[in-house]
Amino acid sequence: MMRFKTILLSVFCFLMISSCKEVLEPEPIDLLVDDIVLNEVKDVANVEIGLYNAFRVIIPASVIAGDFTADMLIHNGTFTQYRELSTKQITSANASVATLWGSIYNTVYIANFIIERLPLVPGLKSAERDRVLATAHLLRGHAYFVGYYTFGPIPMVLTTSIETNRNIRRASDEEILQLITDDYTFALGKLPEDPANPGFAGEYTVRAALARFHLYMGNWAEAEAYATDVIDSDLYSLVENFSELVTKDFTSEAIFEVGYSISDDPGTNGSIGLNNLFLGRREIIPSNQAIVALASSESGDRFSSIQFDINDLVGNDNGWAVAKYGTADEDNNNVVVFRLGEMYLIRAEARAQQQQTTGVNSAQEDINILRMRANAPTVGSLSQSQMLILIEDERRYELAFEGHRWYDLVRTGRIDAVMPAFSDNWREAYKRWPIPQREIQNNPALAGNQNPGY
Amino acid sequence: MRRFILVLFFFIYSVVQAQTIQISGRVTSANEPSGLPGVNVVVKGTSQGSITDLNGTFSLDVPDGTTLVFSFVGYQTQELIVQGPENIDIELVEEAEELSEVVVVGYSSVERRDITGSVTSVKASDFQDMSLSGIDQALQGQAPGVQVTQSSGTPGGGIAVRIRGVTSIGAGNTPLWIIDGVQVESGSLSLRSFGGQNDNALSLLNPGDIESIQILKDASAKALYGSRASNGVVVVTTKRGKKGQAKIMFDVQRGIIDPVRQLALLNAPQLLQLQREAVRNAGKNPDGFGLISGVTDAVDTDWQDEIFRRGIMQQYQLSASGGDENTNYYISTNYRDEEGIQLNNRFNRIGAVVNVDQKFSDKLTVSTNFNITRTLNKRVKGDNFLDGVYSGAVKSLPYYAPFNEDGFLIGPASSGYAGFPNFNPVAQAILPRFDATTAKLVGALSATYKINDHFNLKGQVSIDYNDVTEDQYESSQTAIGGFLQSVGGQGYGVFIASTATNVNTFATLSYANTIGEKHSINAFVGTEILQSFGINGNVQGRLFPSDDFTYITSAGIVDQGSSGKGQSGLASFLAEVKYDLDDRFLATVSFRTDGSSNFGPNRRFGYFPAASAAWRISSEDFFKVRSINDLKIRASFGFTGNERIGAFGFLGTWGATTYNGNSGVSPNNVANPDLKWEMTQETNVGVDIGMFEGRIQASIDAYYNKTSDLLLQRPYASTTGFTGVQDNIGEMENKGIELAISSVNMDGKFKWSTDFNISKNLNRVLFLADSVPLYRGYTAEGSDGTNIIKEGEPMGTFIGLNFLGVDPATGDAMYADTNEDGVINNSDAIVIGNSQPDFIGGLTNRFSYHRFDISVFFQFSVGNKILNFAKATLVNAGADISNNQSIDALRRWQKPGDITDVPRYEFENTYNNFHSNRLLEDGSYLRLKSVSFGYHLPAKIANRLMLQNLRLYCSGTNLWTYTKYSGADPEVSTLDGSVSAQGIDFFTLPQVRTISVGINATLR
Repeated sequence: MMRFKTILLSVFCFLMISSCKEVLEPEPIDLLVDDIVLNEVKDVANVEIGLYNAFRVIIPASVIAGDFTADMLIHNGTFTQYRELSTKQITSANASVATLWGSIYNTVYIANFIIERLPLVPGLKSAERDRVLATAHLLRGHAYFVGYYTFGPIPMVLTTSIETNRNIRRASDEEILQLITDDYTFALGKLPEDPANPGFAGEYTVRAALARFHLYMGNWAEAEAYATDVIDSDLYSLVENFSELVTKDFTSEAIFEVGYSISDDPGTNGSIGLNNLFLGRREIIPSNQAIVALASSESGDRFSSIQFDINDLVGNDNGWAVAKYGTADEDNNNVVVFRLGEMYLIRAEARAQQQQTTGVNSAQEDINILRMRANAPTVGSLSQSQMLILIEDERRYELAFEGHRWYDLVRTGRIDAVMPAFSDNWREAYKRWPIPQREIQNNPALAGNQNPGY
Repeated sequence: MRRFILVLFFFIYSVVQAQTIQISGRVTSANEPSGLPGVNVVVKGTSQGSITDLNGTFSLDVPDGTTLVFSFVGYQTQELIVQGPENIDIELVEEAEELSEVVVVGYSSVERRDITGSVTSVKASDFQDMSLSGIDQALQGQAPGVQVTQSSGTPGGGIAVRIRGVTSIGAGNTPLWIIDGVQVESGSLSLRSFGGQNDNALSLLNPGDIESIQILKDASAKALYGSRASNGVVVVTTKRGKKGQAKIMFDVQRGIIDPVRQLALLNAPQLLQLQREAVRNAGKNPDGFGLISGVTDAVDTDWQDEIFRRGIMQQYQLSASGGDENTNYYISTNYRDEEGIQLNNRFNRIGAVVNVDQKFSDKLTVSTNFNITRTLNKRVKGDNFLDGVYSGAVKSLPYYAPFNEDGFLIGPASSGYAGFPNFNPVAQAILPRFDATTAKLVGALSATYKINDHFNLKGQVSIDYNDVTEDQYESSQTAIGGFLQSVGGQGYGVFIASTATNVNTFATLSYANTIGEKHSINAFVGTEILQSFGINGNVQGRLFPSDDFTYITSAGIVDQGSSGKGQSGLASFLAEVKYDLDDRFLATVSFRTDGSSNFGPNRRFGYFPAASAAWRISSEDFFKVRSINDLKIRASFGFTGNERIGAFGFLGTWGATTYNGNSGVSPNNVANPDLKWEMTQETNVGVDIGMFEGRIQASIDAYYNKTSDLLLQRPYASTTGFTGVQDNIGEMENKGIELAISSVNMDGKFKWSTDFNISKNLNRVLFLADSVPLYRGYTAEGSDGTNIIKEGEPMGTFIGLNFLGVDPATGDAMYADTNEDGVINNSDAIVIGNSQPDFIGGLTNRFSYHRFDISVFFQFSVGNKILNFAKATLVNAGADISNNQSIDALRRWQKPGDITDVPRYEFENTYNNFHSNRLLEDGSYLRLKSVSFGYHLPAKIANRLMLQNLRLYCSGTNLWTYTKYSGADPEVSTLDGSVSAQGIDFFTLPQVRTISVGINATLR
């Protein structure tokens, strides 16, 4: 019996003193703590991928904003967020609105993290440091670009300080536009001309971004110059068949696409799965107006942006679907940020605005390049105002479902003419998306600063 | 050897003495006046004896003066000294329930009458005959202050048990379940969501193996579990062997299962007419939408009838128990098979229990518990899943059919397939394979060593091991496997394996002494270490060659998979002193401290003291009320804690991510080094009273519990780059009153006893950091959410617009413009009610007469609101035409002057369907939860069947319900286990009605 007593007593004593450390301080599994995320040269690539991962959500979210807020898409499912966009009854509680807003600031956080910490990483080659910093500035700048043109002036977050960023006012228009300019400009000349693939930003991504930015700003000469830079770089060429743009990733005209691969396909990775919305669930389908436009002879091959299935022609469903976004195992699941086609359209518009409507180096020339590629009739000589309307339609054909339409109509002021005809519910307020309700509730500095009309 | 010696002894004895006399007699009982067969008649201290025959008679040759022992299962054992040859007639008395029982309240046990805290006991007899799939179900309506809500009628599905309200928002509200000293997993084990309806770890434990359940409710009773006890503790004691005759029991129960109610929905012509009207009201042409009378509605399917079936349940249990001076054993195996009311839904359990106690010496006793169970849960998708079965059946348009003319299921490739959001729910039930196989092993080894009269040492090592394997395939004819190209395309297979293991070790040193006559002291100190380990992996495959290939080995693409691991630990020290002065004053002081790995180094330890005292007034000399036998008042105060949050919440962390085929890291979590324990301060006062020789026993308790440092995600504006941080951000209170009365009303030939309990709990959020309301539940048009967590309001508060009715002139909904800004939108939403009941309770009446017994159990909930969120789809005022509508839609406004509560239908007009209290309903109900009727066969007949005892019974559950709720069933919660948004009905499978017959047999 003494033996049992001894055993029991030893068990008891063992428990009293047994290593608390092992029980109470287990090692984190598959997690890195903040302090060691970006300390060494080998950490840099990982954090950079994290930045692209966050940025990637912005682009499909802005496809929803750009096409759905305007007249390109209608709702065919059950989700409130999409119904609101379709019937033009958008509220600040809309989940799509919150997704885009969140993706912008997730990107900004990691970009700021890199901008703050990268200079402290020992042993990093200066060219590499400049490249990564340029990427951070470019993607942050583009996040603010999307944010500004979606929501108006938004809070300008420039640090990783949680306390600062929890209570941060809306910036002025000037401040945000200056930040975008500075960030894009910072990136100029620091990125490789020809990155590994168009899933990563290169020098001409910066120039394409600047071309679009200046177009939006109405700086026609700069817009034309940057677009020309990209077109003349000879790194990109228009694909022969437009349908290749619908069915393939990384075509010859891709300047920058956010990339998905089979291991992180958009349908299942938690961000916005455009394929699921457009094809899988058919939650969102092309509007009748978009179908008519894309089916027109001026649109030509760009009709291939949509597809029809008689089996889907049931009830409210017109049977059409957006074809541009494939499943994970198909070769068209990326979402385009910039491609060469848009550069021609930017230049055409900038030229038209500068009275170069027809002739050599004119809008007409650029438009006809795209028309010929699409096997659509070329345009003759037009007045400036006719040309601008034509470019508006041309952008609709060429860039359908790539997130442009609403932004285009708002910046040209044409929205007041186009949208009321599309929906009785259209209101002036819908020139901007609302600041998400949750932000106003959780950021005291935003209280009372909702966009007008929400 | 011993037996040989005894035989030898008697042989010699008889030879030497040869003074035996023959005696004979008859054994009877109240129920068996003509004779009780099978009674053991043994000479005391020997194995010599006999068994009574069919007439209850026996005869024996024994020496004069011998003591005879008469024993029979279920009866009190009697002894009788033989005095000369005579006829012995003896009547055995049935074992009565002991007035003073010993209850296990954690690390120690105590006599019920000496309890100073608030403890409610539920005995096995309280839930016998009921068809229960798990032990948590057994508590429903049985104990005051314990709210048990079965989330749906899914077999083996989730059940929410709340003891004295919810104390936490973000750190879990399930009580701590302790089975024979072992902390076991509760809640969901499966890693895949099924649209809100989870599986349930407690359905792995067979209610038939339970001896008793103690529910520890106040700080004092729970103190020794302090660190994990803020939601109450349920201490389950399983059956163990008792000294005496071996007892073999066999129980069978078989029954049928039906839904309690089906929803009344429109048929095809009614719906078509409604949809045509809605489209016309939108200024569009219904023919253009394909809504053509006489054509579209040529098919008329009642989808509920298509997916429902009558289920069969069957349950068998075989157990053996017994023991001698040194060894006790209980061995049991059980099998339960329950078909769900939805096609293809099934829950099947097989398990075994072995409990052995071995006394090695006067000082050392070793006990072991061993429970192994396997369940196979054939699940179907439900509720919020777009491709759910019941939810699909309710929503699907009646003018589609499940089968084509050739009798084949209609699938995605067919033109008869409605497609999103109307998938063929029959196919969704039959075709997928969602087999969750769960294995559970609970094993414990404990040893008690008596050092001397005063000191005892006890140690226990235990393991609770849970293994879940999910084997799933959705064929190309299903929504995921076929219709959603981006997910499945050509079949979709998932395989998930996970284990959750809790290893628990404790040791206690206890001291008991009585000093003088009056001072009794019980004390102990102990340590405990609890470690939890989890590991899981999953893989998904797509593009199968055909639906004949259903395992991932045949998948064309295996592109999704992951594995992970988790670990957390608690290290604790505990101590308790109990003092009893002359059975008049009782006091307990206890203390526990815990370190938890879920908190950072600065805040790792939590301290949980508690104290309680009781005064037994009835033991005082001045107390002279004859009719009151026992009167005790008691009070307790103490602290309990909660740390059930995810691991590493205090660290700022980054996790792995991917982009464009490359891998990298993304921020996961914001650091919060100050994250600390959630603490509940609990105060309880109570009175226990026993009257008329124990015929009436009552307890009243009142309590006030305040939880501070609520663990919750503190919301951040997204401008921080995060949505929030794990933090301690609020305070909440629960106060309430509980009453339980048991009475023996009649105690003659006709016996009648009653148990009644009722309780009220008031919950309120006192404080939230930043005063920011938190929105929970579902998102809805016209409101930021269906639920709100807000200072001053209880958990489970619903918000929405205030629906003022339908304008008789226009047919449009009218809402209150509460902020008077001229616009109806989210900011006009107000609090419209909450899901917490005013009162809950239960009433059980038991009658027995002669061989018959009847038990009738009612359960009720009063004042709770249900958000009938399905109504936003089923009476949607034309917001879409993809869903079938409830017959309530027939009341819609159609022409000026119509007075109704259902707005006019206009296609795609969502205004009339904004989220409002139009969807909120009174969820009060009174339910005949269970009735059973039993009959003990006469002992003669039983004996002929080689049985000692045979009882036949029939029973029913959920036979009758009184409610005003318009949905299928008022006992409902689509967000299974939610504390902030319970009581929402969103296409939740209704409860089931079970009618069964059974046999309890005790083998001879």
